[in-house]
Amino acid sequence: MKVLQIAINDLRLFMVNRGNLVGLLAIPVGMTIILGIFIPSGRPSRIRVDLIDHDAGEVSAQFLQSLRQANSSIVLCPLDNDPEDFCQMEGDSTLGTEQALERVREGDSLALIEIPPGFSEQVRAFEPVRIRYVSLESFSAPSFIRQAVEAALTRVNGAVIASRIGAAVLPGSIVDEGYPQRVYTRAAELWEESPASVDFVLSAGEAPDPSSAPDLGGFGQSVPGMGSMFALFTVLGGMGILVGEKKQWTLQRLATMPITRAQLLGGKILSRFSLGTLQYGVVFAIGVVTGINFGRDLVALVLVILTFTLTCTALSFALGGFLKNEQQAAGVTNLLGLTLAPLGGAWWPLELVPPFMRVVGHVSPVAWAMDSYTSLMFRNGELQDVLVPLLVLAGMSAALFGFGIKRFRYEL
Amino acid sequence: MQSMVVTHDLTKTFRRPDGSEVQAVKGVELEIHKGEIFSLLGPNGAGKTTTISMMSGLLEPTQGDALIGGHSISKQPLQAKRLIGVVPQDIALYPSLNARQNLEFFGKMYDLRGNDLSGRVEEVLSFIGLTDRQKDKVDTFSGGMKRRLNVGVGLLHRPELVFMDEPTVGIDPQSRRRILDTVKQLRDEQGMTVLYTTHLMEEAQELSDRVGIIDHGEVIALGTQGDLIQQVGEEDQLVFAVGDQAVDSGLLQQIRDQVPGVTRTSYDPPGPGGESVTNTSGLILIQAKRGRKALPDILQITNRAGVEIQSVEVREPDLEAVFLNLTGRALRD
Ligand SMILES: Nc1ncnc2c1ncn2[C@@H]1O[C@H](COP(=O)(O)OP(=O)(O)O)[C@@H](O)[C@H]1O
Ligand SMILES: [Mg+2]
Repeated sequence: MKVLQIAINDLRLFMVNRGNLVGLLAIPVGMTIILGIFIPSGRPSRIRVDLIDHDAGEVSAQFLQSLRQANSSIVLCPLDNDPEDFCQMEGDSTLGTEQALERVREGDSLALIEIPPGFSEQVRAFEPVRIRYVSLESFSAPSFIRQAVEAALTRVNGAVIASRIGAAVLPGSIVDEGYPQRVYTRAAELWEESPASVDFVLSAGEAPDPSSAPDLGGFGQSVPGMGSMFALFTVLGGMGILVGEKKQWTLQRLATMPITRAQLLGGKILSRFSLGTLQYGVVFAIGVVTGINFGRDLVALVLVILTFTLTCTALSFALGGFLKNEQQAAGVTNLLGLTLAPLGGAWWPLELVPPFMRVVGHVSPVAWAMDSYTSLMFRNGELQDVLVPLLVLAGMSAALFGFGIKRFRYEL
Repeated sequence: MQSMVVTHDLTKTFRRPDGSEVQAVKGVELEIHKGEIFSLLGPNGAGKTTTISMMSGLLEPTQGDALIGGHSISKQPLQAKRLIGVVPQDIALYPSLNARQNLEFFGKMYDLRGNDLSGRVEEVLSFIGLTDRQKDKVDTFSGGMKRRLNVGVGLLHRPELVFMDEPTVGIDPQSRRRILDTVKQLRDEQGMTVLYTTHLMEEAQELSDRVGIIDHGEVIALGTQGDLIQQVGEEDQLVFAVGDQAVDSGLLQQIRDQVPGVTRTSYDPPGPGGESVTNTSGLILIQAKRGRKALPDILQITNRAGVEIQSVEVREPDLEAVFLNLTGRALRD
C-alpha cells in the first residue's frame, strides 16, 4: 500500500514538472518521427550469406544466379564480395567450412550455403542431391533467405525436369545430342520470364505501395530504437530526482517515518519502472500509427519491453548512490544514454557495424533489447527466439539491483 | 518521572571521502522525561543534528542505542518511529506540491486514512496558520511559511514525542515567535514531549524544562537551568570587544592578578571560532564576582596596555556563562 502511495507521489511530482512532460512526449516523438522518415528502410539493404561451392559447375552457377534474383539483397560471400570487403573476408579469398560455420554462429553472416561436389552432374542425372543450408534462425520462423534458396532450387529443378521430359517423350530421330541441353536452356529462359522471386519483406502486413505512400520502413528501426533509448533516458533521469530528494531532505524525512526500507525502495523502483514503460508506450504508439510490424508474438514483445525497462531501473539504482548533485546526475544520464543507445544499436542496426563493435556493443543492455526486437519484429520470431537476450537482461538487472540496493543510502 | 527517551552510549563516527574520521557524537547519555521540553544547546557542528538523526532512525549509530517509549530505534524501528514526529533542520517539503498535498502525502506515510487524514490535515493547517494558503505551491511560500509547514508535517499523526532541530533558523522574528509559542502550546495543551535543539541561548532559556549542553559531540552539562547556572556560581560575565587588536596572555594574567573578584579570563580571537562560527571582533571574556565593580579597574589596565575597548557587555549568570565556564569559548551564532 505504501509502496503504491510512494510510487504515485513520485509520478505526480514528475508530472507537475512541465519540462519532464516535454522530455517524455515531445522530444521522443519528434526524434522517432525524424529518424523513421530519414532512414529510408530500417534494415541494411544487403545481407551477407556465406557460400562454399564445391561444384562450381553449370547448374550451381544457374542456381546461384536464381538465388541472386530471388532476393537481390543477398550478397554471396566471398563470391560477390565488393572492393569495400562487404563480406568481411579480411584478405582471405576462400572460406573453409569451419570458418563459415563460426561466422554464422557469431552472426557475422546470416546463413551458410554449401553446394556439394558433383552437384551439377547429379542434378542433370536426376540423382538426389542436397544443398546444405545453415542459419541461426529458428526453423519455426519463416526465413527470407531459406525461402530464396528454396525458390532458386525449384527453378533449377524445374529446368532439369523440363529437359528430362523433353528427352523422354520425343522420338529419338529428332533428339540429337544437344537437344536436352537446348530444352534445359529454353526452360531456364522460361523460368526467367516469370521468376519465383521472394522479396525481403519488411513488414508482415501489407507492403506499402511505394508510388503513393511514403516509405515508412524506417519506423521499424526507429520505434524500437528510440523507444529503448528514451526509456533508458527517462529511467536514468530518476537518478537526478533521487539526488534532488536527498538535497531537499524529503527522502530523509521519509526515512524517519514508519516505513520499511523495502517499502521505500519498492516505491522508488515502481515509479521509475512505470515511467520507463510509459515512455516505451509513447514511442511504440508511433509504431502503431505508422503501421509497423510488431511480429506475431506480442506477449514476448511486452516481455522484452518490461525486462529492458527493469534493467534500466536497476542500472539507475546501481549508479545513483555515487551521485552528489543534480549536475552530476544529468551528466551521467546523458553520457550513458548517448553511449549505450548507439552502442547497442538504437540508432542504426548492429548488422551495419564491424563484428568487433557488435561484440563490444553487447555490454549495453540496449543491444540485447534490440536483438530481441529484431528477432520478433523483423524475423517474426517468438518467445523462444528471445529467451537468451531476456535472460541476459534479467541477469544484468539482478546484479545491478543487488549492488544498488546494498549501496542505497538516505543521505547524500 | 516517566522517561520518553533514553539514550545509551550513542555514538556516530563519520568517515570522510579522504578516509579520515569525524567523531560527530561521542557516547551521549540522555534521558528525556514525558511531557517536558528538553533543549539540546550547542554551537554549530556540536553534533545536535547527528544525535537527532540517530534517535529518529535516519542514521544508524556507530555504537549505542536510543529507546523511544521503550522501543529500541535500531531493533524495533517501526514501533519507535510511530511515536515520533520529526521537524528536520532543513526544510523537508516537496516544493512543487501545495501545502495540502504535502500534508496528505506525509500523513499517509503515518498510516492516516480517509476522514481521519483530512480531519488532521485541516487541524494542522489551522494550527500553523496556513489554511488560506493550503492550495498554493510550497515554492511560492516565504521562509517563515515553509518553516511552519515543516513543523506541521511533524505534528500530523499527533505524536507523543516531537524532535525539532533548530526550527527557527533563518526566519523573521514574527514567525520565530509563532514557532516558539507553538512549542510551548504542544507541551502545555497536548502534553507532548519535545526535544528542541538550538544554538541560541535565549531560545533554550525561554523554552526548556531541562537543558543538555553539547559541544564537540559530548554532552558536557545536563539539568534544569537553575542547576546549570548554580554550577558557575554567582559570577557575572564581562565581554569586551577589541576588534582585531592583538591581546597577549600577559594582559589577561595582569587582569586576573590585579582586579579583585576576577576568577577567569580568556581571549577569543576574531576569525573562525567554535566550528563554523565566525566572529568579526576579538573578545576578551572575563568572569568576575561583582562584575560591575570590577569594570573600572579592568578598563584602566587595558588602557595602559594600549588596547582600545570598542564595547562592553555585562551579563548576569546565564546558560551562556555556563557554556563559557565549561569550554572557555563564547556561544555565538
Ligand atoms: N555526513 C557527514 N559526513 C561527515 N561529517 C559529518 C556528516 N554529518 C555531520 N558531520 C560532521 O559532524 C559534526 C556534527 O555535525 P552536526 O550534527 O550537523 O552538528 P550540529 O547539528 O550541532 O550543527 C560536524 O563536524 C559535521 O561536520
Ligand atoms: Mg544541525
